[in-house]
Amino acid sequence: MDSVISADRLTKKYGELTAVDAISFSINEGECFGFLGPNGAGKTTTVRMIHCVSPISEGSVSVFGQAAGINNRAIKKITGVIPQEITLDNDLTVYENLMVFARFFDIPRSEAKERVAGLLAFVELEHKRNSRIGQLSTGMKRRILIARALLNNPRLIIADEPTTGLDPQARHLIWQRLRSLKKQGVTLILTTQYMEEAEQLCDRIVVMYQGRILKEGVPQRLVQDEIGREVVEIRASEEGDAGLLATLSPLYTGHERAGDTLYLYCTDSHALMERMLSLNLPNVLHRPATLEDVFLKLTGRSLIE
Amino acid sequence: MNLSYRIYYVFLRNLISYKRFIIPTFVVSLGQPLFYLVTFGLGMGAYMGHFGGKPYLHFLVPGVLISSVMMAATFECLYGTFVKIVHEHLYDSLVATPVSAEDAVAGDIAWASFRGLISGTLMLIIAMALGVLPASWTALPALVLLMIFTGLLFASLAMIVTSVAPNFDFFSYYTELIITPMFFFSGVFFPLDRFPAWMQTFAQFLPLTHAVALSRALFAGEISSALLIHIAALCALGTVAFVVGIKRMKKRLIT
Ligand SMILES: Nc1ncnc2c1ncn2[C@@H]1O[C@H](COP(=O)(O)OP(=O)(O)OP(=O)(O)O)[C@@H](O)[C@H]1O
Ligand SMILES: [Mg+2]
Repeated sequence: MDSVISADRLTKKYGELTAVDAISFSINEGECFGFLGPNGAGKTTTVRMIHCVSPISEGSVSVFGQAAGINNRAIKKITGVIPQEITLDNDLTVYENLMVFARFFDIPRSEAKERVAGLLAFVELEHKRNSRIGQLSTGMKRRILIARALLNNPRLIIADEPTTGLDPQARHLIWQRLRSLKKQGVTLILTTQYMEEAEQLCDRIVVMYQGRILKEGVPQRLVQDEIGREVVEIRASEEGDAGLLATLSPLYTGHERAGDTLYLYCTDSHALMERMLSLNLPNVLHRPATLEDVFLKLTGRSLIE
Repeated sequence: MNLSYRIYYVFLRNLISYKRFIIPTFVVSLGQPLFYLVTFGLGMGAYMGHFGGKPYLHFLVPGVLISSVMMAATFECLYGTFVKIVHEHLYDSLVATPVSAEDAVAGDIAWASFRGLISGTLMLIIAMALGVLPASWTALPALVLLMIFTGLLFASLAMIVTSVAPNFDFFSYYTELIITPMFFFSGVFFPLDRFPAWMQTFAQFLPLTHAVALSRALFAGEISSALLIHIAALCALGTVAFVVGIKRMKKRLIT
Protein backbone atom coordinates (compact mmCIF):
# COMPACT_ATOMS: atom_id res chain seq x y z
CA MET A 1 0.00 0.00 0.00
CA ASP A 2 1.11 3.56 -0.70
CA SER A 3 1.75 5.88 2.15
CA VAL A 4 0.12 9.21 1.37
CA ILE A 5 0.73 11.07 4.60
CA SER A 6 3.94 10.80 6.50
CA ALA A 7 5.12 12.75 9.48
CA ASP A 8 8.70 12.94 10.58
CA ARG A 9 9.38 14.10 14.13
CA LEU A 10 6.45 16.47 13.84
CA THR A 11 6.52 18.95 16.70
CA LYS A 12 4.36 21.81 17.91
CA LYS A 13 5.35 24.18 20.67
CA TYR A 14 3.19 26.85 22.22
CA GLY A 15 5.75 28.86 24.14
CA GLU A 16 7.03 26.59 26.87
CA LEU A 17 4.41 23.92 26.23
CA THR A 18 5.21 21.14 23.78
CA ALA A 19 1.76 20.14 22.56
CA VAL A 20 3.06 17.64 20.00
CA ASP A 21 6.41 16.11 20.73
CA ALA A 22 8.37 14.82 17.72
CA ILE A 23 5.87 12.23 16.52
CA SER A 24 6.35 10.16 13.39
CA PHE A 25 3.69 8.15 11.61
CA SER A 26 2.59 7.24 8.14
CA ILE A 27 -0.88 6.78 6.74
CA ASN A 28 -1.77 4.67 3.73
CA GLU A 29 -4.07 5.57 0.91
CA GLY A 30 -7.66 4.58 1.60
CA GLU A 31 -7.20 3.66 5.23
CA CYS A 32 -8.85 5.09 8.30
CA PHE A 33 -6.20 6.19 10.73
CA GLY A 34 -7.17 7.06 14.29
CA PHE A 35 -5.60 9.31 16.88
CA LEU A 36 -6.77 8.28 20.32
CA GLY A 37 -5.99 10.20 23.42
CA PRO A 38 -7.40 11.95 26.46
CA ASN A 39 -8.12 15.68 26.62
CA GLY A 40 -5.06 17.74 25.81
CA ALA A 41 -3.11 14.81 24.32
CA GLY A 42 -2.34 16.84 21.18
CA LYS A 43 -4.76 15.23 18.72
CA THR A 44 -6.28 18.44 17.41
CA THR A 45 -2.91 20.13 17.24
CA THR A 46 -1.54 17.23 15.18
CA VAL A 47 -4.35 17.22 12.63
CA ARG A 48 -4.27 21.00 12.39
CA MET A 49 -0.65 20.78 11.31
CA ILE A 50 -1.59 18.14 8.73
CA HIS A 51 -4.18 20.36 7.10
CA CYS A 52 -1.97 23.41 7.30
CA VAL A 53 -3.82 25.72 9.64
CA SER A 54 -1.20 25.52 12.36
CA PRO A 55 2.46 26.27 11.62
CA ILE A 56 4.84 23.42 12.34
CA SER A 57 7.46 24.15 15.00
CA GLU A 58 9.88 21.37 14.08
CA GLY A 59 9.93 18.28 11.92
CA SER A 60 7.71 17.87 8.89
CA VAL A 61 4.64 16.24 7.46
CA SER A 62 3.84 15.62 3.82
CA VAL A 63 0.35 15.13 2.46
CA PHE A 64 -0.13 13.53 -0.95
CA GLY A 65 3.39 14.51 -1.88
CA GLN A 66 3.09 18.13 -0.76
CA ALA A 67 4.93 19.51 2.24
CA ALA A 68 2.66 21.07 4.85
CA GLY A 69 3.79 24.61 5.55
CA ILE A 70 4.97 25.08 1.97
CA ASN A 71 2.25 23.95 -0.41
CA ASN A 72 -0.62 24.77 1.90
CA ARG A 73 -3.11 25.71 -0.75
CA ALA A 74 -2.54 22.51 -2.69
CA ILE A 75 -3.14 20.46 0.46
CA LYS A 76 -6.22 22.41 1.49
CA LYS A 77 -7.74 21.91 -1.94
CA ILE A 78 -7.83 18.14 -1.57
CA THR A 79 -8.66 17.98 2.12
CA GLY A 80 -12.04 18.04 3.81
CA VAL A 81 -12.09 19.01 7.47
CA ILE A 82 -14.75 18.18 10.04
CA PRO A 83 -13.58 20.36 12.90
CA GLN A 84 -13.96 19.60 16.58
CA GLU A 85 -15.77 22.89 17.16
CA ILE A 86 -18.93 23.65 15.26
CA THR A 87 -17.80 26.40 12.94
CA LEU A 88 -20.88 26.89 10.82
CA ASP A 89 -21.89 30.37 9.74
CA ASN A 90 -24.74 31.39 12.02
CA ASP A 91 -25.74 34.30 9.84
CA LEU A 92 -26.52 32.06 6.89
CA THR A 93 -28.98 29.27 6.14
CA VAL A 94 -27.84 25.68 5.71
CA TYR A 95 -27.98 26.05 1.94
CA GLU A 96 -26.11 29.36 1.96
CA ASN A 97 -23.47 27.91 4.26
CA LEU A 98 -22.70 25.19 1.76
CA MET A 99 -22.91 27.41 -1.32
CA VAL A 100 -20.57 30.01 0.16
CA PHE A 101 -18.13 27.33 1.20
CA ALA A 102 -18.18 25.85 -2.29
CA ARG A 103 -17.08 29.21 -3.64
CA PHE A 104 -14.05 29.14 -1.37
CA PHE A 105 -12.95 26.09 -3.36
CA ASP A 106 -13.59 27.79 -6.71
CA ILE A 107 -16.48 25.46 -7.48
CA PRO A 108 -18.68 27.10 -10.13
CA ARG A 109 -22.21 27.98 -9.04
CA SER A 110 -24.11 25.47 -11.15
CA GLU A 111 -21.88 22.63 -10.08
CA ALA A 112 -22.02 23.77 -6.46
CA LYS A 113 -25.82 23.63 -6.56
CA GLU A 114 -25.71 20.02 -7.68
CA ARG A 115 -23.16 19.02 -5.09
CA VAL A 116 -24.99 20.76 -2.28
CA ALA A 117 -28.22 18.99 -3.18
CA GLY A 118 -26.42 15.65 -3.30
CA LEU A 119 -24.65 16.22 0.00
CA LEU A 120 -27.77 17.35 1.81
CA ALA A 121 -29.31 14.06 0.72
CA PHE A 122 -26.19 12.20 1.84
CA VAL A 123 -26.50 13.55 5.38
CA GLU A 124 -30.31 13.29 5.27
CA LEU A 125 -30.98 16.94 5.88
CA GLU A 126 -32.70 18.09 2.71
CA HIS A 127 -35.65 19.26 4.75
CA LYS A 128 -33.42 21.67 6.69
CA ARG A 129 -32.11 23.35 3.57
CA ASN A 130 -33.53 26.77 4.41
CA SER A 131 -33.12 26.65 8.18
CA ARG A 132 -30.75 28.93 9.99
CA ILE A 133 -27.92 27.17 11.81
CA GLY A 134 -29.29 28.21 15.19
CA GLN A 135 -32.43 26.19 14.48
CA LEU A 136 -30.55 22.89 14.16
CA SER A 137 -29.75 20.32 16.82
CA THR A 138 -26.11 19.53 17.58
CA GLY A 139 -26.35 16.27 15.66
CA MET A 140 -27.71 18.06 12.62
CA LYS A 141 -24.98 20.67 12.82
CA ARG A 142 -22.37 17.92 12.86
CA ARG A 143 -23.94 16.35 9.80
CA ILE A 144 -23.84 19.70 8.01
CA LEU A 145 -20.16 19.90 8.92
CA ILE A 146 -19.70 16.56 7.19
CA ALA A 147 -21.54 17.75 4.11
CA ARG A 148 -19.43 20.90 4.10
CA ALA A 149 -16.22 18.88 4.36
CA LEU A 150 -17.20 16.90 1.26
CA LEU A 151 -17.95 19.84 -1.04
CA ASN A 152 -14.54 19.75 -2.69
CA ASN A 153 -14.59 15.96 -3.25
CA PRO A 154 -11.62 15.55 -0.92
CA ARG A 155 -9.10 12.74 -1.16
CA LEU A 156 -8.38 13.17 2.51
CA ILE A 157 -10.94 13.71 5.23
CA ILE A 158 -9.95 14.81 8.68
CA ALA A 159 -12.63 14.24 11.30
CA ASP A 160 -11.77 15.73 14.69
CA GLU A 161 -14.00 14.07 17.26
CA PRO A 162 -16.96 14.04 14.88
CA THR A 163 -19.46 12.48 17.27
CA THR A 164 -18.73 14.28 20.52
CA GLY A 165 -21.92 15.21 22.29
CA LEU A 166 -24.22 13.13 20.09
CA ASP A 167 -26.82 10.54 21.03
CA PRO A 168 -26.25 6.92 19.93
CA GLN A 169 -28.50 7.21 16.88
CA ALA A 170 -26.83 10.32 15.55
CA ARG A 171 -23.46 8.74 16.25
CA HIS A 172 -24.31 5.61 14.28
CA LEU A 173 -25.54 7.67 11.36
CA ILE A 174 -22.24 9.55 11.26
CA TRP A 175 -20.28 6.32 11.49
CA GLN A 176 -22.20 4.90 8.56
CA ARG A 177 -21.48 7.97 6.50
CA LEU A 178 -17.79 7.89 7.32
CA ARG A 179 -17.64 4.18 6.46
CA SER A 180 -19.31 4.74 3.12
CA LEU A 181 -16.78 7.47 2.34
CA LYS A 182 -14.01 5.06 3.13
CA LYS A 183 -15.55 2.56 0.74
CA GLN A 184 -15.26 5.18 -1.98
CA GLY A 185 -11.53 5.19 -1.44
CA VAL A 186 -11.15 8.34 0.62
CA THR A 187 -8.34 8.41 3.17
CA LEU A 188 -9.67 9.19 6.61
CA ILE A 189 -8.01 10.62 9.69
CA LEU A 190 -10.10 10.39 12.82
CA THR A 191 -9.45 11.69 16.29
CA THR A 192 -11.56 10.39 19.10
CA GLN A 193 -11.82 9.72 22.78
CA TYR A 194 -14.38 6.99 22.20
CA MET A 195 -12.81 3.57 21.96
CA GLU A 196 -15.91 2.18 20.35
CA GLU A 197 -15.61 4.73 17.60
CA ALA A 198 -12.02 3.74 16.92
CA GLU A 199 -12.97 0.05 16.86
CA GLN A 200 -15.86 0.74 14.53
CA LEU A 201 -13.96 2.83 12.02
CA CYS A 202 -10.20 2.62 12.23
CA ASP A 203 -7.85 0.26 10.42
CA ARG A 204 -4.96 1.49 12.49
CA ILE A 205 -4.69 3.71 15.50
CA VAL A 206 -2.09 5.48 17.55
CA VAL A 207 -2.61 6.18 21.22
CA MET A 208 -1.43 9.69 22.04
CA TYR A 209 -0.65 11.05 25.45
CA GLN A 210 1.05 14.31 26.40
CA GLY A 211 2.06 14.99 22.84
CA ARG A 212 3.68 11.61 22.26
CA ILE A 213 2.61 8.42 20.56
CA LEU A 214 2.55 5.62 23.12
CA LYS A 215 1.43 2.75 20.88
CA GLU A 216 0.51 2.13 17.32
CA GLY A 217 -1.35 -0.74 15.75
CA VAL A 218 -4.50 -2.45 14.53
CA PRO A 219 -7.22 -1.99 17.19
CA GLN A 220 -7.94 -5.71 17.76
CA ARG A 221 -4.29 -6.63 17.80
CA LEU A 222 -3.48 -3.88 20.28
CA VAL A 223 -6.08 -5.25 22.65
CA GLN A 224 -4.66 -8.75 22.28
CA ASP A 225 -1.09 -7.68 22.82
CA GLU A 226 -1.61 -5.23 25.63
CA ILE A 227 -4.40 -6.79 27.61
CA GLY A 228 -5.25 -10.27 26.40
CA ARG A 229 -8.73 -11.46 25.67
CA GLU A 230 -10.59 -10.92 28.90
CA VAL A 231 -10.75 -8.64 31.87
CA VAL A 232 -11.96 -9.39 35.36
CA GLU A 233 -12.90 -6.41 37.48
CA ILE A 234 -12.97 -6.78 41.22
CA ARG A 235 -14.44 -3.98 43.25
CA ALA A 236 -12.68 -4.24 46.59
CA SER A 237 -10.47 -2.01 48.70
CA GLU A 238 -6.78 -1.82 47.93
CA GLU A 239 -5.50 -3.40 51.19
CA GLY A 240 -6.42 -6.91 50.03
CA ASP A 241 -4.59 -6.58 46.69
CA ALA A 242 -1.30 -8.20 47.66
CA GLY A 243 -2.91 -11.25 49.22
CA LEU A 244 -5.45 -11.63 46.45
CA LEU A 245 -2.88 -11.30 43.68
CA ALA A 246 -0.70 -13.93 45.34
CA THR A 247 -3.61 -16.32 45.65
CA LEU A 248 -4.70 -15.89 42.03
CA SER A 249 -1.23 -15.97 40.52
CA PRO A 250 -0.36 -17.18 37.85
CA LEU A 251 -3.89 -17.29 36.42
CA TYR A 252 -3.74 -13.68 35.16
CA THR A 253 -1.25 -12.05 32.81
CA GLY A 254 -1.37 -8.56 34.21
CA HIS A 255 -3.16 -6.35 36.68
CA GLU A 256 -3.89 -2.75 37.43
CA ARG A 257 -5.48 -0.87 40.28
CA ALA A 258 -7.60 2.25 39.74
CA GLY A 259 -9.61 3.76 42.55
CA ASP A 260 -11.94 1.16 44.00
CA THR A 261 -11.34 -1.41 41.28
CA LEU A 262 -8.69 -4.05 40.67
CA TYR A 263 -8.40 -5.10 37.02
CA LEU A 264 -7.00 -8.51 36.11
CA TYR A 265 -6.07 -9.28 32.50
CA CYS A 266 -6.08 -12.81 31.15
CA THR A 267 -6.30 -14.86 27.98
CA ASP A 268 -8.45 -17.63 29.42
CA SER A 269 -10.55 -16.63 32.38
CA HIS A 270 -11.92 -20.07 33.05
CA ALA A 271 -9.49 -21.14 35.72
CA LEU A 272 -9.34 -17.65 37.17
CA MET A 273 -13.09 -17.42 37.58
CA GLU A 274 -13.22 -20.84 39.17
CA ARG A 275 -10.62 -19.85 41.74
CA MET A 276 -12.45 -16.62 42.44
CA LEU A 277 -15.73 -18.44 42.96
CA SER A 278 -14.08 -20.54 45.61
CA LEU A 279 -12.89 -17.33 47.28
CA ASN A 280 -16.49 -16.17 47.28
CA LEU A 281 -15.65 -12.58 46.31
CA PRO A 282 -18.54 -10.15 45.95
CA ASN A 283 -18.67 -7.56 43.16
CA VAL A 284 -16.83 -9.35 40.41
CA LEU A 285 -17.35 -8.49 36.75
CA HIS A 286 -16.04 -10.56 33.90
CA ARG A 287 -16.00 -9.17 30.37
CA PRO A 288 -14.10 -9.21 27.08
CA ALA A 289 -11.11 -6.86 26.83
CA THR A 290 -11.65 -3.71 24.75
CA LEU A 291 -9.61 -0.92 23.35
CA GLU A 292 -10.69 1.09 26.33
CA ASP A 293 -8.59 -1.15 28.56
CA VAL A 294 -5.57 -0.54 26.35
CA PHE A 295 -6.19 3.14 26.40
CA LEU A 296 -6.61 3.25 30.15
CA LYS A 297 -3.64 1.00 30.75
CA LEU A 298 -1.42 3.19 28.62
CA THR A 299 -2.61 6.57 29.77
CA GLY A 300 -3.37 5.67 33.35
CA ARG A 301 -6.69 4.68 34.83
CA SER A 302 -7.02 7.78 36.92
CA LEU A 303 -7.97 11.01 35.23
CA ILE A 304 -4.89 13.03 34.50
CA GLU A 305 -5.21 16.50 33.06
CA MET B 1 1.64 38.47 1.66
CA ASN B 2 -0.48 35.64 0.44
CA LEU B 3 -3.32 37.61 -1.17
CA SER B 4 -5.46 36.33 -4.01
CA TYR B 5 -8.72 36.91 -5.88
CA ARG B 6 -10.38 34.86 -3.13
CA ILE B 7 -10.81 38.12 -1.21
CA TYR B 8 -13.90 38.44 -3.37
CA TYR B 9 -15.38 35.20 -1.98
CA VAL B 10 -15.05 36.52 1.55
CA PHE B 11 -16.67 39.78 0.48
CA LEU B 12 -19.47 37.79 -1.09
CA ARG B 13 -20.05 35.82 2.10
CA ASN B 14 -20.48 39.09 3.96
CA LEU B 15 -22.83 40.42 1.33
CA ILE B 16 -25.06 37.34 1.60
CA SER B 17 -25.22 37.56 5.36
CA TYR B 18 -25.79 41.32 5.19
CA LYS B 19 -29.14 41.12 3.50
CA ARG B 20 -30.70 40.06 6.80
CA PHE B 21 -29.32 43.05 8.69
CA ILE B 22 -29.69 45.68 6.06
CA ILE B 23 -32.45 47.74 7.68
CA PRO B 24 -31.02 47.82 11.22
CA THR B 25 -27.60 48.76 9.90
CA PHE B 26 -29.06 51.61 7.85
CA VAL B 27 -30.62 52.97 11.00
CA VAL B 28 -27.42 52.59 13.01
CA SER B 29 -25.05 54.01 10.45
CA LEU B 30 -27.29 56.96 9.68
CA GLY B 31 -28.39 57.83 13.19
CA GLN B 32 -25.32 59.58 14.47
CA PRO B 33 -24.33 61.57 11.38
CA LEU B 34 -27.92 62.69 10.91
CA PHE B 35 -27.91 63.85 14.49
CA TYR B 36 -24.85 65.99 13.79
CA LEU B 37 -26.33 67.40 10.63
CA VAL B 38 -29.55 68.39 12.32
CA THR B 39 -28.13 69.76 15.58
CA PHE B 40 -24.98 71.39 14.25
CA GLY B 41 -26.01 72.05 10.69
CA LEU B 42 -29.53 73.30 11.04
CA GLY B 43 -29.60 74.25 14.73
CA MET B 44 -26.21 75.85 15.25
CA GLY B 45 -25.96 76.87 11.62
CA ALA B 46 -28.73 79.39 12.28
CA TYR B 47 -26.40 81.22 14.72
CA MET B 48 -23.19 80.69 12.79
CA GLY B 49 -24.31 82.67 9.80
CA HIS B 50 -22.34 82.17 6.64
CA PHE B 51 -19.08 80.35 6.17
CA GLY B 52 -17.08 81.45 3.18
CA GLY B 53 -20.19 82.81 1.54
CA LYS B 54 -22.33 79.72 2.06
CA PRO B 55 -24.57 78.47 4.89
CA TYR B 56 -22.79 76.47 7.61
CA LEU B 57 -24.48 73.28 6.44
CA HIS B 58 -22.36 73.40 3.30
CA PHE B 59 -19.26 73.45 5.43
CA LEU B 60 -20.50 70.63 7.63
CA VAL B 61 -21.77 68.09 5.11
CA PRO B 62 -18.47 67.01 3.51
CA GLY B 63 -16.92 66.40 6.93
CA VAL B 64 -19.86 64.57 8.44
CA LEU B 65 -20.20 62.48 5.30
CA ILE B 66 -16.63 61.26 5.38
CA SER B 67 -16.85 60.75 9.15
CA SER B 68 -19.82 58.47 8.65
CA VAL B 69 -17.65 56.42 6.30
CA MET B 70 -15.00 56.26 9.01
CA MET B 71 -17.51 55.20 11.66
CA ALA B 72 -19.16 52.49 9.61
CA ALA B 73 -15.87 50.98 8.46
CA THR B 74 -14.41 51.16 11.95
CA PHE B 75 -17.33 49.47 13.64
CA GLU B 76 -17.50 46.72 11.07
CA CYS B 77 -13.87 45.74 11.62
CA LEU B 78 -14.10 46.09 15.38
CA TYR B 79 -17.33 44.43 16.40
CA GLY B 80 -18.21 42.62 13.19
CA THR B 81 -14.83 40.98 12.81
CA PHE B 82 -14.45 40.24 16.51
CA VAL B 83 -17.74 38.35 16.57
CA LYS B 84 -16.69 36.38 13.52
CA ILE B 85 -13.35 35.38 15.02
CA VAL B 86 -14.09 34.80 18.64
CA HIS B 87 -17.77 33.98 18.89
CA GLU B 88 -18.48 32.23 15.65
CA HIS B 89 -15.06 30.73 14.79
CA LEU B 90 -15.81 31.70 11.24
CA TYR B 91 -12.22 32.35 10.32
CA ASP B 92 -11.21 28.91 11.56
CA SER B 93 -13.23 27.24 8.86
CA LEU B 94 -12.21 29.82 6.27
CA VAL B 95 -8.50 29.23 6.66
CA ALA B 96 -8.99 25.48 6.23
CA THR B 97 -9.97 26.16 2.60
CA PRO B 98 -7.80 27.57 -0.18
CA VAL B 99 -8.76 31.00 1.16
CA SER B 100 -5.70 32.20 3.08
CA ALA B 101 -5.79 34.10 6.35
CA GLU B 102 -4.67 37.19 4.43
CA ASP B 103 -7.51 36.76 1.93
CA ALA B 104 -9.97 36.43 4.77
CA VAL B 105 -8.79 39.55 6.57
CA ALA B 106 -8.51 41.58 3.37
CA GLY B 107 -12.00 40.42 2.44
CA ASP B 108 -13.33 41.75 5.70
CA ILE B 109 -11.50 45.04 5.23
CA ALA B 110 -12.94 45.35 1.73
CA TRP B 111 -16.35 44.59 3.12
CA ALA B 112 -16.01 47.21 5.85
CA SER B 113 -15.00 49.72 3.23
CA PHE B 114 -18.13 48.86 1.30
CA ARG B 115 -20.20 49.39 4.44
CA GLY B 116 -18.54 52.79 4.74
CA LEU B 117 -19.42 53.55 1.15
CA ILE B 118 -23.07 52.68 1.81
CA SER B 119 -23.18 54.96 4.84
CA GLY B 120 -21.50 57.77 2.97
CA THR B 121 -23.80 57.38 0.00
CA LEU B 122 -26.88 57.49 2.18
CA MET B 123 -25.53 60.67 3.75
CA LEU B 124 -24.90 62.08 0.33
CA ILE B 125 -28.48 61.46 -0.69
CA ILE B 126 -29.75 63.21 2.42
CA ALA B 127 -27.35 66.10 1.90
CA MET B 128 -28.52 66.47 -1.67
CA ALA B 129 -32.09 66.54 -0.45
CA LEU B 130 -31.03 69.38 1.84
CA GLY B 131 -29.58 71.15 -1.15
CA VAL B 132 -25.90 70.47 -0.50
CA LEU B 133 -24.40 69.06 -3.68
CA PRO B 134 -20.92 68.17 -4.88
CA ALA B 135 -19.39 70.83 -7.07
CA SER B 136 -20.09 68.96 -10.28
CA TRP B 137 -21.16 65.55 -11.51
CA THR B 138 -17.57 64.78 -12.31
CA ALA B 139 -16.72 65.20 -8.62
CA LEU B 140 -19.01 62.26 -7.81
CA PRO B 141 -16.74 59.41 -8.94
CA ALA B 142 -13.86 61.08 -7.13
CA LEU B 143 -16.01 61.27 -4.01
CA VAL B 144 -16.89 57.58 -4.30
CA LEU B 145 -13.22 56.76 -4.63
CA LEU B 146 -12.42 58.86 -1.61
CA MET B 147 -15.10 57.09 0.42
CA ILE B 148 -13.79 53.67 -0.60
CA PHE B 149 -10.28 54.63 0.28
CA THR B 150 -11.22 56.25 3.57
CA GLY B 151 -13.13 53.08 4.38
CA LEU B 152 -10.11 50.90 3.61
CA LEU B 153 -7.91 53.04 5.79
CA PHE B 154 -10.17 53.05 8.84
CA ALA B 155 -11.12 49.41 8.42
CA SER B 156 -7.42 48.51 8.43
CA LEU B 157 -6.77 50.63 11.51
CA ALA B 158 -9.69 48.95 13.28
CA MET B 159 -8.33 45.57 12.21
CA ILE B 160 -5.09 46.34 14.04
CA VAL B 161 -7.09 47.11 17.17
CA THR B 162 -9.16 43.94 16.81
CA SER B 163 -6.04 41.84 16.37
CA VAL B 164 -5.02 42.61 19.94
CA ALA B 165 -8.45 42.97 21.55
CA PRO B 166 -9.11 40.52 24.39
CA ASN B 167 -12.81 41.42 24.55
CA PHE B 168 -15.49 43.88 23.45
CA ASP B 169 -14.73 46.38 26.21
CA PHE B 170 -11.32 46.95 24.71
CA PHE B 171 -12.92 48.64 21.71
CA SER B 172 -14.27 51.52 23.74
CA TYR B 173 -10.68 52.65 24.41
CA TYR B 174 -10.22 52.99 20.70
CA THR B 175 -13.57 54.56 19.89
CA GLU B 176 -13.68 56.88 22.92
CA LEU B 177 -10.01 57.85 23.05
CA ILE B 178 -9.11 57.93 19.39
CA ILE B 179 -12.03 57.91 17.00
CA THR B 180 -14.31 60.39 18.80
CA PRO B 181 -11.56 62.97 19.54
CA MET B 182 -10.36 62.64 15.96
CA PHE B 183 -13.83 63.60 14.88
CA PHE B 184 -13.45 66.93 16.67
CA PHE B 185 -9.83 67.66 15.77
CA SER B 186 -10.02 67.02 12.05
CA GLY B 187 -11.87 70.06 10.90
CA VAL B 188 -15.26 68.43 10.56
CA PHE B 189 -17.09 71.10 12.54
CA PHE B 190 -14.76 74.10 12.42
CA PRO B 191 -12.16 75.24 9.92
CA LEU B 192 -8.72 74.16 11.08
CA ASP B 193 -7.15 77.54 10.35
CA ARG B 194 -8.93 79.01 13.37
CA PHE B 195 -7.22 76.50 15.68
CA PRO B 196 -3.97 77.37 17.52
CA ALA B 197 -0.84 76.46 15.58
CA TRP B 198 0.05 73.41 17.69
CA MET B 199 -3.41 71.99 17.13
CA GLN B 200 -3.12 72.51 13.40
CA THR B 201 0.15 70.60 13.42
CA PHE B 202 -1.41 67.87 15.49
CA ALA B 203 -4.34 67.64 13.10
CA GLN B 204 -1.98 66.89 10.22
CA PHE B 205 -1.21 63.57 11.88
CA LEU B 206 -4.84 62.53 11.99
CA PRO B 207 -5.93 60.55 8.95
CA LEU B 208 -9.43 61.98 9.10
CA THR B 209 -8.07 65.52 8.58
CA HIS B 210 -6.86 64.60 5.11
CA ALA B 211 -10.04 62.78 4.17
CA VAL B 212 -12.13 65.74 5.30
CA ALA B 213 -9.97 68.19 3.38
CA LEU B 214 -10.37 66.19 0.19
CA SER B 215 -14.07 65.71 0.65
CA ARG B 216 -14.58 69.43 1.23
CA ALA B 217 -12.55 70.30 -1.85
CA LEU B 218 -14.73 67.99 -3.94
CA PHE B 219 -17.88 69.64 -2.65
CA ALA B 220 -16.49 73.15 -3.13
CA GLY B 221 -14.95 72.36 -6.49
CA GLU B 222 -11.62 73.75 -5.33
CA ILE B 223 -9.27 71.30 -6.97
CA SER B 224 -5.62 72.25 -6.79
CA SER B 225 -2.19 70.71 -6.47
CA ALA B 226 -2.35 71.56 -2.77
CA LEU B 227 -4.55 68.51 -2.41
CA LEU B 228 -1.72 66.19 -3.38
CA ILE B 229 -0.32 66.27 0.13
CA HIS B 230 -3.63 64.95 1.47
CA ILE B 231 -3.77 62.24 -1.16
CA ALA B 232 -0.20 61.23 -0.37
CA ALA B 233 -0.91 61.18 3.36
CA LEU B 234 -4.00 58.98 2.92
CA CYS B 235 -2.21 56.59 0.58
CA ALA B 236 0.78 56.24 2.88
CA LEU B 237 -1.32 55.74 6.01
CA GLY B 238 -3.70 53.43 4.20
CA THR B 239 -0.97 51.18 2.87
CA VAL B 240 0.80 50.91 6.20
CA ALA B 241 -2.43 50.24 8.09
CA PHE B 242 -3.54 47.63 5.56
CA VAL B 243 -0.29 45.68 5.69
CA VAL B 244 0.06 45.90 9.46
CA GLY B 245 -3.62 45.06 10.00
CA ILE B 246 -3.40 41.92 7.90
CA LYS B 247 -0.12 40.80 9.46
CA ARG B 248 -1.29 41.35 13.01
CA MET B 249 -4.58 39.63 12.37
CA LYS B 250 -2.92 36.67 10.74
CA LYS B 251 -0.85 36.26 13.90
CA ARG B 252 -4.03 36.07 15.90
CA LEU B 253 -5.73 33.65 13.52
CA ILE B 254 -2.95 31.19 12.79
CA THR B 255 -1.58 29.66 15.97
N1 LIG C 1 -3.66 27.92 20.50
C1 LIG C 1 -3.07 27.36 21.55
N2 LIG C 1 -2.26 28.08 22.35
C2 LIG C 1 -1.65 27.52 23.42
N3 LIG C 1 -1.79 26.24 23.77
C3 LIG C 1 -2.58 25.46 23.03
C4 LIG C 1 -3.28 25.97 21.88
N4 LIG C 1 -3.99 24.97 21.34
C5 LIG C 1 -3.78 23.89 22.10
N5 LIG C 1 -2.94 24.17 23.11
C6 LIG C 1 -2.46 23.22 24.12
O1 LIG C 1 -1.88 22.11 23.48
C7 LIG C 1 -2.19 20.90 24.13
C8 LIG C 1 -2.83 19.92 23.17
O2 LIG C 1 -4.10 20.41 22.82
P1 LIG C 1 -5.02 19.71 21.74
O3 LIG C 1 -6.17 20.61 21.50
O4 LIG C 1 -4.21 19.32 20.57
O5 LIG C 1 -5.50 18.42 22.51
P2 LIG C 1 -6.57 17.33 22.08
O6 LIG C 1 -5.89 16.02 22.14
O7 LIG C 1 -7.20 17.69 20.80
O8 LIG C 1 -7.60 17.42 23.29
P3 LIG C 1 -9.21 17.32 23.28
O9 LIG C 1 -9.53 15.86 23.31
O10 LIG C 1 -9.58 17.96 24.56
O11 LIG C 1 -9.72 18.00 22.09
C9 LIG C 1 -3.07 21.27 25.31
O12 LIG C 1 -2.28 21.33 26.45
C10 LIG C 1 -3.58 22.64 24.97
O13 LIG C 1 -3.79 23.40 26.12
MG1 LIG D 1 -9.07 18.18 20.22
